Amino acid sequence: MHPTTLMYTSSLLLMFAVLLYPLLVTFTSLPLNNDWASSHAKTAVKSAFLISLAPLSLFLSTGMEAVTSSWTWMVTTTLDITLSFKFDHYSIIFIPIALYVTWSILEFATWYMHSDPLMNRFFKYLLTFLVAMLILVSANNLFQLFIGWEGVGIMSFLLIGWWHGRADANTAALQAVLYNRVGDIGLILGMAWLATNVNSWDIQQMFILSKDLDMTLPLLGLILAATGKSAQFGLHPWLPAAMEGPTPVSALLHSSTMVVAGIFLLIRMSPLMENNQTALTLCLCLGALTTMFTATCALTQNDIKKIVAFSTSSQLGLMMVTIGLNQPQLAFLHICTHAFFKAMLFLCSGSVIHSLNDEQDIRKMGGLHHLAPFTSSCLTVGSLALTGTPFLAGFFSKDAIIEALNTSHVNAWALTLTLIATSFTAIYSLRVIFFVTMGTPRFLPLSPINENNPAVINPLKRLAWGSIFGGLLVMLNINLFKTPVLTMPAELKLAALAVSVLGLLTALELATLTSKQFKVTPLRTPHHFSTSLGFVPAIIHRQIPQLSLLLGQKIASQMVDQTWLEKTGPKAIANATTPLASATSNMQQGLIKTYLTLFLMTLVLVTLISAT
Amino acid sequence: MNPFILSILLLSLGLGTTLTFASSHWLLAWMGLEISTLAIIPLMSQHHHPRAVEATTKYFITQAAAAALILFASTTNAWITGQWDINFDLHFFPASMLTMALALKMGLAPVHFWLPEVLQGLDLTTGLILSTWQKLAPFILMCQIMPVNSSLITFLGVTSTLVGGWGGLNQTQLRKILAYSSIAHLGWMILVMQFNQQLALLALIIYIPMTFSTFMIFKTNSSTTVNTLAASWAKTPALTAITPMILLSLGGLPPLSGFMPKWMILQELTKQDIPLTASIAALSALLSLYFYLRVSYAMTLTISPNNLNATTPWRLQTTASTLPLAISATISAMLLPLAPATLALLSL
Repeated sequence: MHPTTLMYTSSLLLMFAVLLYPLLVTFTSLPLNNDWASSHAKTAVKSAFLISLAPLSLFLSTGMEAVTSSWTWMVTTTLDITLSFKFDHYSIIFIPIALYVTWSILEFATWYMHSDPLMNRFFKYLLTFLVAMLILVSANNLFQLFIGWEGVGIMSFLLIGWWHGRADANTAALQAVLYNRVGDIGLILGMAWLATNVNSWDIQQMFILSKDLDMTLPLLGLILAATGKSAQFGLHPWLPAAMEGPTPVSALLHSSTMVVAGIFLLIRMSPLMENNQTALTLCLCLGALTTMFTATCALTQNDIKKIVAFSTSSQLGLMMVTIGLNQPQLAFLHICTHAFFKAMLFLCSGSVIHSLNDEQDIRKMGGLHHLAPFTSSCLTVGSLALTGTPFLAGFFSKDAIIEALNTSHVNAWALTLTLIATSFTAIYSLRVIFFVTMGTPRFLPLSPINENNPAVINPLKRLAWGSIFGGLLVMLNINLFKTPVLTMPAELKLAALAVSVLGLLTALELATLTSKQFKVTPLRTPHHFSTSLGFVPAIIHRQIPQLSLLLGQKIASQMVDQTWLEKTGPKAIANATTPLASATSNMQQGLIKTYLTLFLMTLVLVTLISAT
Repeated sequence: MNPFILSILLLSLGLGTTLTFASSHWLLAWMGLEISTLAIIPLMSQHHHPRAVEATTKYFITQAAAAALILFASTTNAWITGQWDINFDLHFFPASMLTMALALKMGLAPVHFWLPEVLQGLDLTTGLILSTWQKLAPFILMCQIMPVNSSLITFLGVTSTLVGGWGGLNQTQLRKILAYSSIAHLGWMILVMQFNQQLALLALIIYIPMTFSTFMIFKTNSSTTVNTLAASWAKTPALTAITPMILLSLGGLPPLSGFMPKWMILQELTKQDIPLTASIAALSALLSLYFYLRVSYAMTLTISPNNLNATTPWRLQTTASTLPLAISATISAMLLPLAPATLALLSL
């Protein structure tokens, strides 16, 4: 084996071993020591991150990608499934970032979940999730990817419903599973089509063998899978509902890693998509709709975690738009930078929530700039990175995307929506900062505001470094596959920045209205639309179950009970036989003359008929 | 009854049927039928109570009418064809008259009306003789005049099975239930008689032990209604356990012997390309099965309440002979595996 490939494979193997070791330890019946979470789980992820830097540096210096196929799992006449790992540009860069973010989150979680009696189980779940995510990212065939896909789905369910005594948490977990399942239908459709037409699930083989085929159907399936997993419009309600889980869960799963799995799948399969205009247009329009819609919903939310959740959804829409522009690498870059600042935003909100004694409503926060300075600074940095402030992490990916959008020859409507969503990003980010950090406190006096714990500070610090320099570092060290258009009119170049600044100024203006009455009778319809999340959950979550229940009732009571059992089945037979039985036995009147007359008549009839 | 009288009557009964069996002349056959009718009349009315006398009278009138018609038909046949031999085919006109007369004699629908009332008025032993022995002679004659007027025979058969099914559903008196059961079984026999007389004979041969067993069981428990039968768990627990087997065998349920004739008959009917008739007969067997099942449910599957004294009779030994019942119950429940041997024996 080539030494580089050897290095890649052995580092991945070592990473898996390091991550699985704490899990395996828990399967013995020995009691875990008190700081197992800190000493074993977090350390494992930290070591895995450090190990993953080795293939990263090797890749950055040589640019060599590798595919490893090891053990043959199943051999059938038409389809072989082997265990194979892909060490390409995407997985080698994503794995260290994911591990870095997870390390920070786990360290934060040792503080956040400190009072939880089942903290060790929590960490076990997070580790399992991480392993599944790594399997997904490093998979070279769709079967292995599907294993990781389902694994992250299940762990998402378990983690969202962590506080399962709360009915809302259970509902949210079920929502996550069901919406993901709908997406899985698409993935399985794509896999089945590919298995039957291209005869392989291996990525390299699929790309070669599908050159001349019409790939619309499997691509639609994959887009459906991405819609489900990455909460695009139509299958999006689960993501805000998933905020019922603890903040580390929201930070890890529902901002950085799990929700990008759908986008990651599309990025992996982008060579299949690049010639299919239908799929590209669908991605573009779906992404534009998602980003606009969720940004609108985020404008009027009062729960800090929900605002960040909708922000995540909006950024996912942006990533989908990028894929629709046929720029998968830019989408990937946005995944990487987004992981840093979104995780940091979630950790900041977690710190704020715990400090204010589990208060999540931003209308009951305020003035934290003086009381929790480090957290609010990180919040500000994260929000600035999110809005695409020049030269922070988000700028490099977001601005590149908007530029690509402006200089492409696609749907102007998608472009418009994306720009409006970008301005909305600035608006709701400012809203968060305004309500949480600025102004006077609106919470109770005896709140346990404390950010002195290194378990809080260090993760935030690390992620802050990532949010500031992450984009620059990634951009400096990679080569873009597609040459970006570098010359454009100044208005187009500055469009993203201009709309963000416009949004910021509008938001500042609106923020000052909180203490004044601008209109006596305000216009409430847009506000209702935004607060009710576009009425989508209210309609879907009620209408479909109502139809199913009505159908069930019709089948059970009317069809089965009334029709089959009573009118046409057993009861009908009983009702028909009873008069016949009574008639037959009531004919016996006891008069022998009648009987003999009947005999005579029958005899005559028979004789006459037989004579003819 | 005086044992000499009894033996004369029983021997005459036997003589009559045997005479019909052995005859090849229509007049002799008719004579045998008359002898057996006359022999059973005193047996029926031996208890002299009005119900028995009523039953005897009804039986006599019906059987006399039938016998007169047999005589008339055979005479007409002799007039038309010039010969009295049973083995030669009949002319169609006396054939249909003869069929109707024999139907009346046996108790086939639509001329079955006398059978439930007559059977109800008799004690169980005489009823047993009526149900089993008295069916043999007309049956043999019926076999010998086949094939005749196929649609009439099918009509008689299907109607009998249906009437036997529906009529029995509304009964609580055991003798009437057995009357309708007899009608139904005769219907099955008639259906197949036109195609394969051996199978009809098989049906009769299996039917007789089953009915014998049921009558004996009822006699042992001295019960004539379903309600009385429900108390048999305290008198003869072993018999109570066996009776469902006999009853379900009457209903034609595999793996009991009663399934054998029904199976063979359905197969024959299907081979003769009248599956619709076969289906109707099979479905009507379900009706009969229901009332057999109801009787066995009341008897065996429930333990009816009773006072303390009535729960003790099973401790006492019985003086009646149980050997005949044992033999016939075994035959009527366990003969199915010997089906090939039975069929081979009957093709003689």
